[in-house]
Amino acid sequence: MNIFFHLCWRNLWRHKRRSLIVISSVAVGVFAMISAMGLLNGIMEQMVDNTINTALGHVSIQAKGFQNSLRSEYSFIPAETLYTAIGRTADSQKGYAPRIKLKGMARSSASSRPVIITGIDPTKERSVSHLAEYIIPSTGSFIERADEDTVLISKNMADALELSPGDNIIIMLQNTRGELTAAGLTIKGLFTTPVENFDRHTIFVGLEKLQALAGFGKKISEISLTLKDRNASSAMKTALMLFVQKAGLEVLTWQEMAPNLVRSIAIVDTMMYVSFFIIFITVIFSIANTLVMAIMERFREIGVMKSIGTEPRMIFFMVVFESMLLGITGLVFGIAAGYTAMKLLSIAGIDLSRYAQTLRAMGSGSIIYPSVRAFDVFMATAIVLITTICAAIIPARKAARIEPVKALSYI
Amino acid sequence: MAIIELNNLIKHYDVNGLSVPAVRGVNLSIGEGEFAAIAGPSGSGKTTILNLIGGLDKPSEGQVIVEGNNLAHLSQKELSDLRLRKIGFVFQAYNLIPVLTALENVEYVLLLQGIRREDRKTRAASILREVGLEAEINRFPRELSGGQQQRVAVARAIVSEPTIVLADEPTANLDQKTGESLIELMHHLNRTKNITFLFSTHDPMVMDRAERLMHIIDGQIISDVRKHTKTPKPASSRKKR
Ligand SMILES: Nc1ncnc2c1ncn2[C@@H]1O[C@H](COP(=O)(O)OP(=O)(O)OP(=O)(O)O)[C@@H](O)[C@H]1O
Ligand SMILES: [Mg+2]
Repeated sequence: MNIFFHLCWRNLWRHKRRSLIVISSVAVGVFAMISAMGLLNGIMEQMVDNTINTALGHVSIQAKGFQNSLRSEYSFIPAETLYTAIGRTADSQKGYAPRIKLKGMARSSASSRPVIITGIDPTKERSVSHLAEYIIPSTGSFIERADEDTVLISKNMADALELSPGDNIIIMLQNTRGELTAAGLTIKGLFTTPVENFDRHTIFVGLEKLQALAGFGKKISEISLTLKDRNASSAMKTALMLFVQKAGLEVLTWQEMAPNLVRSIAIVDTMMYVSFFIIFITVIFSIANTLVMAIMERFREIGVMKSIGTEPRMIFFMVVFESMLLGITGLVFGIAAGYTAMKLLSIAGIDLSRYAQTLRAMGSGSIIYPSVRAFDVFMATAIVLITTICAAIIPARKAARIEPVKALSYI
Repeated sequence: MAIIELNNLIKHYDVNGLSVPAVRGVNLSIGEGEFAAIAGPSGSGKTTILNLIGGLDKPSEGQVIVEGNNLAHLSQKELSDLRLRKIGFVFQAYNLIPVLTALENVEYVLLLQGIRREDRKTRAASILREVGLEAEINRFPRELSGGQQQRVAVARAIVSEPTIVLADEPTANLDQKTGESLIELMHHLNRTKNITFLFSTHDPMVMDRAERLMHIIDGQIISDVRKHTKTPKPASSRKKR
């Protein structure tokens, strides 16, 4: 195959400028693709990570039906053996923490708001979420003991309820007997998370305090786990499934808990790829045009090749291969440039503070760290190969059908 | 035994709906190991006949029989294969693939035959040595003189050990001396390898060297003369380049 490769490769360089135009158009297209996907993927990953770090976790063990209702009847007492089972997966997790989630109301003298009251174990929570880091230092501090008479609310909620750290806030909820209960708690600190929607609704109370208030006893709503690798959630689910099912509980992955997030990533991905395909359709014409010109110039030569016994399909393959070589050369440069650019940008991050409001609504944070997925490199390769093969088909058929007799009388 | 047989061969081209006769009833039999030339003025049908024998073109009427195969009965693929293994071609000019070196041009034929890489290299190099191009094997066609290019074309035509070489005016683009030495080379190969050579020409020098000379005018053979009998020359009298 060596001569054949030389033949095709050297043919590309017979018209350096013409080939370079095609190669650079492929390279620019691939570069744009890798960069756009890298940037977008950075935003998406940060959205996912922030959502997970804020309170979702990668995997949650809970009673069936809890996720969509947050009702107190789906609470459970975690058996020691459950913790043992979780302990066995320690290698792939960062940590786990028990939580309670309840619907309720928060009110001040000025106003009130529906909230999700989340009971947390302050020590364990630090290993699972970034909540402690989201506390604005000037406003106070994280909860220290699980039985404190304190609450953490977001800056957003403090503004809405016209409250400051140290003030009292009234929390109202229904206890397990169905009675409406209220308690006054002191605001220990304010937090801001990157996920705006989360800030609007969530407040945090010590786990034991909430158990007492809501009449939960030793019950909790979920055990949340964070993993070392966000893509290992399904594997973890499988690892825990059997044991958890025996306890009458279920394991949910973050993908199952936040289906909208997964869906929006898929939609954005698809939209991007559709637009790349459209861009590359124009590349098809530019490549096809180059190939047709190249074949017309080599009309006699192809006739000679056929007359000394080259089969038509070999001529066909030669043209397709030359087209692929053009594409692959552009691809290599495009990937290298795109990857390097994204790597460099990911060191410092891209500061998009100007669009902070939008990005907060998306939950990605305002500094974006682009990240190139293997999948995007694979897709770029696939698109380029498909493009170059499609572009070559008509010219290659033309070349394969050249009649030696006509070609030989043509100088 | 006849290696090439033409039976009442007729070819006319269709030009804008008009039928232009190029070959008008040619009967011809060429035996194994002949060194034969077809001579005739421009437009007399030499190229057409060679193309028909090589299966590059189809006759309007009549038969072409090569090594007992009626070409009309062969598929495109079988014709390709015949040209690859049995027939070598040398054209007037621009025979070579410009992006391949002399060695690679010769090797190319062996590649098509599916011969192993190491064998290809040694065989191609030894054939090029035989045609006197040992020093030029790594040159590209544009770096070779016209005569050297034709020698590479001859090397490529014989590397697959064909039984027939068809050469269409192989010396037409060469000066007298270079043309003469090319014909000598072909003659030498004809004798040493027993390859049948059929070439066209309108060069009196080339006609003079042929062992059999056929004259063609307006698509018809008007004379067919066997001139020399085979008397092997001593190898030392052979001129190279
Ligand atoms: N593809 C073609 N279409 C139409 N007519 C053709 C074609 N090829 C050859 N002819 C005609 O057929 C006749 C024979 O041509 P051919 O090329 O065989 O002659 P030739 O003897 O090789 O001439 P030359 O010495 O110029 O090469 C000529 O009249 C020529 O015009
Ligand atoms: Mg001719």
